[in-house]
Amino acid sequence: MSRSFLFWAIALLLPTVHFFLQVGLGIGIWAPDLLTVALLLLARELRAGKAAAIGFCFGLLEDAFSILAFGANTLTLTLLGILGARSRDLFVAESAGFFLGYLAIGSWLRYALHWVFAGESLRGSAGEVLLVQGPIAAMYAAGVGVIFLILTGVIRESGG
Amino acid sequence: MASFDVENGESGRRRELTLSLGFLLLAVTLFVLPVQLQQGISGALRSTVLAPFLWTQESLNQTRIRAAEINQLQARLDSTSAVLASQRTLLIENVQLRGLLELRERAGPTFVSASVIRSGTRGSESMFLLDVGTQDGVQVNDPVVVAEGLVGSIREVGPGTSLAMDWSHPDFRVHVMTADGEAFGVVEPRFGAFREEDRLLLNGIPFNTSLAEGMPVITSGLGPFNPRGIEVGRILSLAEAEAGWRRGYWIQPAIQPGSVTHVLVITGGEGEPVSEWTHLWSDEPLPDSLPAEDPPVDGLDRGADGDEGAPVILPPPVDLPDSLDPSGLR
Repeated sequence: MSRSFLFWAIALLLPTVHFFLQVGLGIGIWAPDLLTVALLLLARELRAGKAAAIGFCFGLLEDAFSILAFGANTLTLTLLGILGARSRDLFVAESAGFFLGYLAIGSWLRYALHWVFAGESLRGSAGEVLLVQGPIAAMYAAGVGVIFLILTGVIRESGG
Repeated sequence: MASFDVENGESGRRRELTLSLGFLLLAVTLFVLPVQLQQGISGALRSTVLAPFLWTQESLNQTRIRAAEINQLQARLDSTSAVLASQRTLLIENVQLRGLLELRERAGPTFVSASVIRSGTRGSESMFLLDVGTQDGVQVNDPVVVAEGLVGSIREVGPGTSLAMDWSHPDFRVHVMTADGEAFGVVEPRFGAFREEDRLLLNGIPFNTSLAEGMPVITSGLGPFNPRGIEVGRILSLAEAEAGWRRGYWIQPAIQPGSVTHVLVITGGEGEPVSEWTHLWSDEPLPDSLPAEDPPVDGLDRGADGDEGAPVILPPPVDLPDSLDPSGLR
């Protein structure tokens, strides 16, 4: 599968599926956070500036439904895009295990950052969000992300 | 997935750093924008890029409800056919009288039915979208109700959609009174450890006024919530008391917002008289004839006899095929 096709598949397909599941079908938190998965995968391919731009756009779309803490998702995903792009300086592995860990940590970080920016009136208790909901949702998103990479042949091609 | 977008030298890194900081700054700016601007941006996104997803959920909701209620609708259709056949002359007479007396202009606030759409995304808790807007006469602060009582109020209005908050929203406040008019106060949400434990707190009750458990609490018509008489909930227990000064009571809300799929929005233009809808949520039997300034509204009924139980809000009339409509009016 060509790399440019894969790039656009991630950039367009995953966010579309994310909003289709969460908003269109109304599954809500039972659907994996594919927006974060898409951002983290794209950030590995892009420079920090472009990753921040994509994170900003994704966050803005998510914030369209967030009246209580408008901007929290935008700030969170912009930061996550930058951190994802900078992670290439630290990790270069491309195995399934690496992507599982990378996506899980990134998704958990997204929960943690949003918890910080959401404000006291909206966020739940730190223990519940960061130690229970966050890790479970992060592993769920990471699992789905790795399955997506396997289905698209990325992990097999890279020998992972 | 090897990187194909490589930074070129020191100047490239500096450019990327500047770009990153620029977007971060933009994100922070969004965060601190005035609420009106934030609402404008989110409204524009919902009505353009995200509109297909909202449309999908609305369509699915409609399909699900239609599928679930097909048998019930069939039974109602049969009953309606029989009623229409026996009341044909009354219906014609009623239409003529309503036209003559211009009851439509005197009806005051009207009820607009709407479907509830919950986005389910992070940060959208306590908010829901409705498929009615300014085109239907909906305005900011209009109450959103169901047969059991008050759900919330309209927060933003667009041409064809509106955004509402339910009673669990931190900004939600409503002026209320007890059904007997003995005590007035303000109700606000209090959050539990879980969303299911969210409750309402009735504040500002004089210390020497004691409210019995189970007593209905209704809107008083003060503040932005008009009309009065909408049931908010029932007294649960004493929450707090400041000696010699005031008491606060827990209220069991009349409705759990998560269970709501269809609602009615009570609309009414500015300058119109405050209306009284206590009879719709009251346990008391209806008077034989309603006062002239409060005529019955289409789609609202108290049941077959109108003398017992909670009020029943009937769905809008079903469009009958000509072959099944014995009244011959359609």
